[in-house]
Amino acid sequence: MPDMEVSEILTQPYMLRAIAGVVLIAINASIAGSFTIFRNVSFLVAGASHSALAGAALFILLGVYGFPANPLIGALLFAIATAIIAGYAPKEETNTAIGISFAMSMSLAILFISMIREYAAKVWSLLIGDLFLLTYEDLYLMTFVTFLSLMIALLFYKAFLFISFDSEGATAFGLNTKRYNYLLLSLIAVSAVMLLKGVGAILVFAMLVAPAAASNELASNLRDVFVYAFIIALVSGFVGIAISFHFKVSPGAIASLLATTVYFFSLLARRFRGD
Amino acid sequence: MVKEKDYAKPGVETDDTEIEAITSKEVEFRYDEHLVLSDVSFQIKRGEFVAITGPNGSGKTTLLKLILGILQPQKGEIRVMGYSTRERDKIMNLIGFMPQKEHISSNFPILVRDVVMLGLGARKGITKPTKRADEEEGIQAIKSVGLDEEIWTKKFAELSGGQQQRVLLARALAIKPEILLLDEPFNGVDIPSQNKILDLISDLRKKGVTVLFVVHNVNPLLHQIDKIMLLKGRIVAFGRPDEVLTDKNLISAYGASIPIIYCEEGYAHPVYSDIHG
Repeated sequence: MPDMEVSEILTQPYMLRAIAGVVLIAINASIAGSFTIFRNVSFLVAGASHSALAGAALFILLGVYGFPANPLIGALLFAIATAIIAGYAPKEETNTAIGISFAMSMSLAILFISMIREYAAKVWSLLIGDLFLLTYEDLYLMTFVTFLSLMIALLFYKAFLFISFDSEGATAFGLNTKRYNYLLLSLIAVSAVMLLKGVGAILVFAMLVAPAAASNELASNLRDVFVYAFIIALVSGFVGIAISFHFKVSPGAIASLLATTVYFFSLLARRFRGD
Repeated sequence: MVKEKDYAKPGVETDDTEIEAITSKEVEFRYDEHLVLSDVSFQIKRGEFVAITGPNGSGKTTLLKLILGILQPQKGEIRVMGYSTRERDKIMNLIGFMPQKEHISSNFPILVRDVVMLGLGARKGITKPTKRADEEEGIQAIKSVGLDEEIWTKKFAELSGGQQQRVLLARALAIKPEILLLDEPFNGVDIPSQNKILDLISDLRKKGVTVLFVVHNVNPLLHQIDKIMLLKGRIVAFGRPDEVLTDKNLISAYGASIPIIYCEEGYAHPVYSDIHG
């Protein structure tokens, strides 16, 4: 394959799907990633993406017993459950609650997988992910959920920002802080699930959080955080695809490596700038 | 009950200081089974400056949340400008709130403009787009707290503690409140900035705004306030500073004797020392 012309490579359906996947991942990294940083709930991304494995495993198990259902729906339900638990816990115990949900979900995932050994690979594929293995069905679901997230973020942008900046003040100014908190955490959890098929549960954290964390260091205003996060995730994804194509390595791993490297350089840049 | 027509328009001077801004009748509040406040009854007149103080766990913040309608008492009732705090939609438009700076998360590049406009946005509809006129109101609020317009596009996190407090005050004032609630406004603020904030708040007296300060140390306010409410799960004393700051009341609230010194103007200043308020 490496001796194919670039134009020929770029028209291959699996490549087009991978490129579309990267664009959708970059949009999620911009919206959900930035709010993850603002709301200071990075651990939720790791917790929700791993909890999603248990949901996927359960739905595969149900399929085996004659109740067919899309495993991604199960993944979404479990991720949202983790978000709700995180929102329900007192603020100072949020990370503990996410950690316990994470551990419980992984226990369930391993339990379900042990009951369906012949289908275990389907679940483990969500742990690793592969941009080149995205199907049209995956892309349709990713597009729908990304569009929904974008609309919710645009509509409730000020509310999400207010509760992230000053939760107590937001309540005093009449906002239903609890409701917006549940909505925001669910949006972040759903975005984490959307990245599963592309980069896998292990690397979701890198692709969703690192671009926004890097842009948060570099940006001089909120709009730039969203713009830079999108660009960092997009470029990391495209470079990941290009390198993986030539060297036959995981595109998600290369993209995540780049995004996390940008974060460390952004820390250095901020230090040199004297902020 | 105070009728709507009795309210002075925000920012308009008035002599009608007899209207009760806040009334509390036999209020009791528990968190689960833990009794936090009991038998809390008081009246605060329109235009009064009142400091709510007491030791840690005395119920200061709980009382603030009860006045804001965030919490509801299990017994009794609080009314704000005649409205029950259960009618949150009505009282929200009357109260400006300045939170403790320590409770704020500014680890992202939120600008002064964003901070002020969040307050106005919450009052005018959080999902509605911001209008140019709203932004003008926000800029006026920033100017009213003695900050330059240039600060409008600066990062909130890059401001000094005193400037941050003034931005939060501008956010509270932008909605032109009848009642201003300030939760520990002097935490992490140097003395010159404290004085600036106090001067700004003193100007509100001319506009008939009622101001409640929740503070653990009442000293910076003593020359400005009309009344002190000393709490310890109940009201230990409520009245003029010289009536409240007596040895007996302070022992009752703090469980220890607190020395009192008198300044040149004759005000009694408790020396809290290592008694943590």
